[in-house]
Amino acid sequence: MLNTLIDGLLRGNVYALGAVGISLVFGVMNVVNFAQFSFFGLGAMLAWFFVAQEGLPFWLALPLVLVICGALGLVINISVVRPLAKFLPLAAMLSTYAVSQILDNVSQISFGAQFRVFPQVLPTSNFHIGNMRFGTSDVVMLSITAVVMVVMSLFLKYGKIGKAIRATAQDQEAALQMGIPVGLVQHVSFVIASSLGGLAGVFIALYIGVANPTSGLDIGLTAFVAATLGGLGSLVGGVIGGFVLGILEAFGIYFFGDTSREIIVFVILIVVLIVRPGGLMGKVPLISTEPLTGTFLGKGRPLRMPRWVWPAAFVVGGVVIPLVASDYVLTTGTQVLIYAIIAAGFTVTAGQSGVLALGQAGPIAIGAYTSALVTMNLHFSFWAALPVAGLSAAIIASVLASPIWGVKGHYISIATLGLGVAIVAIIQLLEPQGIYNIPVPQWFGTVLSTPIAYYLIDFGVLVITLLVMWRIRRSHLGRVISAVGSDEVAALASGVRGRNYKALAFAISAFFAGVGGSLLAHQYTYIDPTMFTMLMSLLVVTIVIMGGVSLPYGAVVGSIILIGAMELLRFTPELRIIAYGLVLILVVRFRPGGILVRNS
Amino acid sequence: MKSFIRRAAVASVAALAVVSLAGCAGNGAAAAGSADGTIYFGVSAAVTGQYAQYGEQFKEGFDLALDQVNAKGGINGHPVALKYEDSQSDPKQSVAVAQKFVGDSSISLVFGDYSSAASIPSSPIYTAGKLLQYGFNNSNPDFTAKGSEYQWSTSITTNDSYKWTADYIKDHGVNSVGVTYLNTADWGIPAYNAFKAEAAKIGLTITNAEAVLDTSDDYRPSLTKAVAGNPDAFVHIGYGPDAAKIVTQLRSIGYQGTFYGGQDEQSFDGTADAKGSIIGAGFIETSKDPAVQAFVKAFKKKYPKETSVTSFEAGAYDALNVAVAAAKLGGTTRAGILKGFTELKNVPSVVYGSITFDQSTRRVLSPALTPTILTGGKWVASN
Repeated sequence: MLNTLIDGLLRGNVYALGAVGISLVFGVMNVVNFAQFSFFGLGAMLAWFFVAQEGLPFWLALPLVLVICGALGLVINISVVRPLAKFLPLAAMLSTYAVSQILDNVSQISFGAQFRVFPQVLPTSNFHIGNMRFGTSDVVMLSITAVVMVVMSLFLKYGKIGKAIRATAQDQEAALQMGIPVGLVQHVSFVIASSLGGLAGVFIALYIGVANPTSGLDIGLTAFVAATLGGLGSLVGGVIGGFVLGILEAFGIYFFGDTSREIIVFVILIVVLIVRPGGLMGKVPLISTEPLTGTFLGKGRPLRMPRWVWPAAFVVGGVVIPLVASDYVLTTGTQVLIYAIIAAGFTVTAGQSGVLALGQAGPIAIGAYTSALVTMNLHFSFWAALPVAGLSAAIIASVLASPIWGVKGHYISIATLGLGVAIVAIIQLLEPQGIYNIPVPQWFGTVLSTPIAYYLIDFGVLVITLLVMWRIRRSHLGRVISAVGSDEVAALASGVRGRNYKALAFAISAFFAGVGGSLLAHQYTYIDPTMFTMLMSLLVVTIVIMGGVSLPYGAVVGSIILIGAMELLRFTPELRIIAYGLVLILVVRFRPGGILVRNS
Repeated sequence: MKSFIRRAAVASVAALAVVSLAGCAGNGAAAAGSADGTIYFGVSAAVTGQYAQYGEQFKEGFDLALDQVNAKGGINGHPVALKYEDSQSDPKQSVAVAQKFVGDSSISLVFGDYSSAASIPSSPIYTAGKLLQYGFNNSNPDFTAKGSEYQWSTSITTNDSYKWTADYIKDHGVNSVGVTYLNTADWGIPAYNAFKAEAAKIGLTITNAEAVLDTSDDYRPSLTKAVAGNPDAFVHIGYGPDAAKIVTQLRSIGYQGTFYGGQDEQSFDGTADAKGSIIGAGFIETSKDPAVQAFVKAFKKKYPKETSVTSFEAGAYDALNVAVAAAKLGGTTRAGILKGFTELKNVPSVVYGSITFDQSTRRVLSPALTPTILTGGKWVASN
């Protein structure tokens, strides 16, 4: 027991450092900063580079890493985050995701992709309590964290800028009116957060012993959960959340095994959020707004499409492309179409009801597995399995999501993100082996497994999806969902139960995600849990935001750009991801509401 | 004016859509046959992303073999070249890559992909395109077993290697082991099942087996549990980077038994606590075999920065030589290469000595493993 407790403290230490950085930026900018994840990996690699490659002493390398990470943070904030955060936190969040992609890949090009062994700079096992050994290294890490936290809290309490940070976090506009230089405060917070991320990265390298440029992702995600658990924006909460999560996770793994780790983390999160919707230390304001609320109506209007666009698009997509395109284009097209279906369905949740759910990989996986299992075991035809996959995704995802609808704002994003990860983790527990030889679609005995057949099937499903979405948007139900998204308080005052309509919107989105999953499964003929990653969820969100968050047809454009661009950028393989990130940032910079949304 | 802008915006979006697709069409159609007589093989691998490390290593092995083949006159006087496509080992991209290769008539064989999750979804496309998919790194037996006559591999299967591991451990007087294995569908679980079945057969006790994730960083709670029964030795079924973390943490919780696990991979080889680990290996950098020595020497000459040569580079090096041998035997067309694979015998190999395919499994016939022990950062043959 004692071993597990010490272990929990050590891992909690790293989470706490990461969580404080995330909470700090969130507090003063209201932006969820995905780039923070990259600073973990970057900090670890920089430390490796200075110590192992350049032979610098560790005590010199450590401040160097902090300075470099801090400076990078400043550049990112000035060039990307702040210009966007001023008028659309959502766009800023998307751009931090692009920044993190760029950072990871630059780090990979500079340091190589290999896992590197971090030199032992301090003894790691010279003490022991019971069987558990730990070293000076661990004690030093814990003490550094303690010192950093004390200095931080003194700075926030008594320092001039520290006070300004707190004021900005409380009410940005009021702070601005009182003459607080909010811009400077945000820069300082970003620099501190980035340095803390770098420090956490160095600790990861010290504690784990090996690191590569992407090794921050997993710990970053957990730190993110820790920040949410503690209450976004609350620094004390971040520290408490980090340690609580570290310790509970350690005991959870001890009892249920490492394979349940992700489930444990998110079950803890969801339970805490149900009991305390603002996190352990966070306060829930009496009237809170969803992060997406009003972004669309207030900040831009969709471009008006002339009527000829629809038949023209139908003819181009359904006739011209199948006639002229090569098989390679058609296969790329199938991926574009499937993601367009998933994303178009998702616009009800993200756009209309204003809930930025981040876990669509969950329902996609449910759809894929249902479809594979019913065609293989119950001998359903593909055509019957397709709607069944959608229904089961809608039902299962809704049941699992039912406890979280009382949670609001960014918390619901994190909770759904957790839900997505947990669904895939549960599937992995139940059906750890991959499923092979999933039957391909047939039409009265004709096997439809050519690229053009897949393309046409996907195209047909997309057209139906768009028609359904169009009908829903124009129906009474659609308008009620939009009302909840636009102003939940007003909707509640008019007797609309927002929570139920959010759940319904989520179910509709899950249905189309399940349909998309089914299409993927029957095209790949093989599925396993490693396919349904968090990156898949983020891709769906990115597509939706790219096209215009509540425009189903925008999702098609977003999908063409985001999946098509990955293929178009093949001429520069090493720089592909970096170019992709830059394209994303530029689009968000100049069309923050989405490609098809006019700025206002 | 407003309406003009609007129209322009709509038109540009539509144009973008068309151009992006047309651009892809251009890529696909441009490469119809190779006019200069160069013989092209495709490589579907991760150049970026989580698995980029392996993509880099494969490229080094391929490029070295390519230099040597072309210096000796290529295939019947025709130079050989590779076309790389980055799949990030992501099925969404590997299927597009597969279709791209199938549509490129100059490609007569494709290497890859790295992971089963990316390789297997692309297999039906290669089969339909009658293009040989040479998954030289796919240790998952199902890649070939559930594939068609177009899926071939020279990787030893997880079943073979972990059956061997169980036998070897038992032969060396170990009666009980604690186990951790990666909970991955395509690799860790089938490997553990093979190990467990063999262990039950020969009377090797598994005191406790813990499934772990390779994305975890801290395994101490799992390890504490895995060694609670005081096993004689410890087995980890996984890759290099996770084994590096596991062996370090295993020592830090005070367990001192022999560690059977790890991989000939830079981060594991460089981990201090990994010293004394034992695995069965095909390729051994320190082997006295002259062919291996010549390969290692040539490799270090071409890549002076690399401190060691691992089975990944060796596997890719072998794979290119096998493909070239098949093309020499059967011809450089897609059908010719497939024919070549069915007829190949005793192709020199730095991993197996020589490679002959078992035509029923499309894998290497009776692959031999040599026990190796990690000493001073290098794997050397043990007994």
